[in-house]
Amino acid sequence: MTMSTDPWVWLAALLSLFIFSYLYKDNPLFKFAEHLFTGLSVGYLIVIYYNNIVRSYLLNPVLADHRWVLLVPFAIGLLYLFRFIPKLSHLMLIPIAITLGIWNGIALPLTIEADIIRQMQGTMINTSMFRNPWDPYTGLAVGILIAVGVICTITYFFFSREHKGALKVSAHIGIWFVMIGFGASFGYTVMARVSLLIGRLQFMFTEWIHLIK
Amino acid sequence: MRTIALAGLVLLWTAWAAAIPGPAAAPPPQPATVAPPSDLAAGDTPNDAGQSISLTWRPSPDEALGVEGYEILRAESAEGPYAKVGYVPSGFGSFDDQAVPRDGRDFFYRVRAVGAGIAPSEVAAAGPARSSQQWYNAARTNALVGTLLFTLIVIYFIQGARRGRHLFIRRIAGLAAVEEAVGRATEMGKPILFCPGMDPVTSISTLAALNILGQVAKKAAEYDTPLVVPNRDPIVYTVAEAIVKEAYAEIGRPDAYNHDSVFYLTDSQMGYTSGVNGIMARERPATNFFMGYFYAESLVLAETGAATGAIQIAGTDSITQLPFFITACDYTLMGEELYAASAYLGKQPMLIGTLKAQDWSKALVGLLLVAGAALALSGPGLRQFVLRLLSID
Amino acid sequence: MKQKLPLLIVLVLGIFFTIQFFVPSRASEVTYQTTLQWWLVMSSFAMVLALGSLINHHALKIKRRKEGWWNSWVTLAGIAVMGGLGILGGPSFRMGWANDAYTRLFLFVQAPMDSAMFAILAFYMASASYRAFRARSREATVLLVSGFVVMLGIIPFGAMLWHRIPDIAEWVMMVPNMASKRGILFGIGLGATATALKIILGIERSWLGGGGK
Repeated sequence: MTMSTDPWVWLAALLSLFIFSYLYKDNPLFKFAEHLFTGLSVGYLIVIYYNNIVRSYLLNPVLADHRWVLLVPFAIGLLYLFRFIPKLSHLMLIPIAITLGIWNGIALPLTIEADIIRQMQGTMINTSMFRNPWDPYTGLAVGILIAVGVICTITYFFFSREHKGALKVSAHIGIWFVMIGFGASFGYTVMARVSLLIGRLQFMFTEWIHLIK
Repeated sequence: MRTIALAGLVLLWTAWAAAIPGPAAAPPPQPATVAPPSDLAAGDTPNDAGQSISLTWRPSPDEALGVEGYEILRAESAEGPYAKVGYVPSGFGSFDDQAVPRDGRDFFYRVRAVGAGIAPSEVAAAGPARSSQQWYNAARTNALVGTLLFTLIVIYFIQGARRGRHLFIRRIAGLAAVEEAVGRATEMGKPILFCPGMDPVTSISTLAALNILGQVAKKAAEYDTPLVVPNRDPIVYTVAEAIVKEAYAEIGRPDAYNHDSVFYLTDSQMGYTSGVNGIMARERPATNFFMGYFYAESLVLAETGAATGAIQIAGTDSITQLPFFITACDYTLMGEELYAASAYLGKQPMLIGTLKAQDWSKALVGLLLVAGAALALSGPGLRQFVLRLLSID
Repeated sequence: MKQKLPLLIVLVLGIFFTIQFFVPSRASEVTYQTTLQWWLVMSSFAMVLALGSLINHHALKIKRRKEGWWNSWVTLAGIAVMGGLGILGGPSFRMGWANDAYTRLFLFVQAPMDSAMFAILAFYMASASYRAFRARSREATVLLVSGFVVMLGIIPFGAMLWHRIPDIAEWVMMVPNMASKRGILFGIGLGATATALKIILGIERSWLGGGGK
């Protein structure tokens, strides 16, 4: 068994171990790695902000192409900094209001389309299901099962009525569907997470300690 | 002597070349001629910003004879000159020319079948066609109707609430537990941790989480319990800070607000997770709130929190992460419950009115599903109608 | 006035961008793109506030000599070093050595910690599975069984047990799982739309501070 002589590989491996050490319990090594991680990732974000946004959308267009109009969003952005002046700190609400206006406006019809209409489309029973009514994926029986599952799940989320009588039965069937669905997600994720661990162990045992060839 | 050797070499080479099968030895192929594509139609691409013309054609019947694809040519007059503007592989019969130089001008198109082993086919021609922009996206009519309908329902119920009509809201366990959870942190003299999700402010679940933060902060201010709010997004941080500060002011204790309780951690998903893990291990919050949108880190956050013995309330509309919150948290707000929370906790009639509107809309969705199925099954004409009603381009 | 202007901005922009979704014309598209660029420029100031908050958070820890305060220096140094190197090595200054150091820090320090944190997920997956296993309620049992079936369906071992298991797992994913997810999505869609609408119409105002009073 040999070990890597590259100091950078050592650094990478040791820091990975520091992070893993949290699994045992919180300790100074993890604390160090965690703080380093925070610092570097924020530094990295600053670089992304500077190179990809400030430089591309502000500095270059204004300084090189003289698109002075971009000073308008710059000036509005400056309002964020009024937070530090108590009497004028409410001016910070203007860029926040712009943000909320834009994104809520964009989201409103988009959500109706993606989460409501598209889902209705997928749930609708149709004549093509008659062709092979007992097909386990596209048959009529499954179509009806899905529709029942969807409608019962919806009834679970009724807020303005007590879950009593028919609503209670339907909400109960709904929660069973929900739990089967969550179980499926759960089981599906197990393997994905294990493969992430295998990936990291591979690095440790191939590049750092040359245990696996 | 040298000539003989040379002749021998040539002979040998010919023999060798003839012996191996392949293109070098094969006779020059007769380029096959194939029938051209037909029924070319060109017209403005619907529902777009202009400068695009859509073409459709019936593929060449001889596609099997070596047609590899279709060349699309464009010209400003029927006679040409034509320039190639696109290529699609065989088997396809449509193309959108999205580089039309100008709207409102006539263009002519030709499409021909091409392939390495065949001569380019005769062309199918079409034109003139003009591109134009549209001011209304007809393909989104169903979304428009949905948006208007829902807005009207919401406004109707808000008006009802304004007039003082009593609206019942059933108990939502996760939300009923908020008071208790805050109280427990107070008793233990430990802080409350609130993570407003991993998404930026552009995601509505983050806004829902921030609305809940406002209510939690008010309770924390009332009980004088420290609040820890680490943030991942810069804008979310600014809004969260404003909300918490205001909550303290509203309770009448602006001085009790600690400027360091809402802070920015990092944008990195796992960096944030390790930071929050650190907080849970060291400050030992008695109550953890995970509200908003979460990704893979949900598992680490909720499991770590459960291991520290904190009472945990999660709320997310991230369907893939809900199972992990459900197994590790004491209470979990699933999907829509996250959005119902601010109305439930705030108890303002107008907000509760929108919950009622949501319920009626859900009932409408269920009804449409049943009615739509009935229509679709009752005849081909009605089936077409239902399909059109729900089609999305 | 302090609150009226932000509310008006949200209302106007919200309605504008809702309508924009239905208008495909060039002017509409250009407005959309320009707005997003402007929004990015404006929002970069929030980063300044966020950075200020993080630095303040750690400066306080250092000042108060909180336990492990020296780790705060690690974070602050990480921000300065990573940010400095990235900007000096970036397209604005093009210093090769800085870019080299920045890349190495990213590849051998930041990225390994990121992957290690991800790899930890596998261990938490195990503890979550154990927790699910201990749960006593009927719903939790449904979740557990469905999760177990789906997990067996993915791993080769499942097929070894019984050749139909992968099919059953696939069916659970495609039918009951799908039904429950659609049902939940309807609720999410309506909840999200209602929230967006409440913010646009100024009914939900907690973002202004003051909880709408």
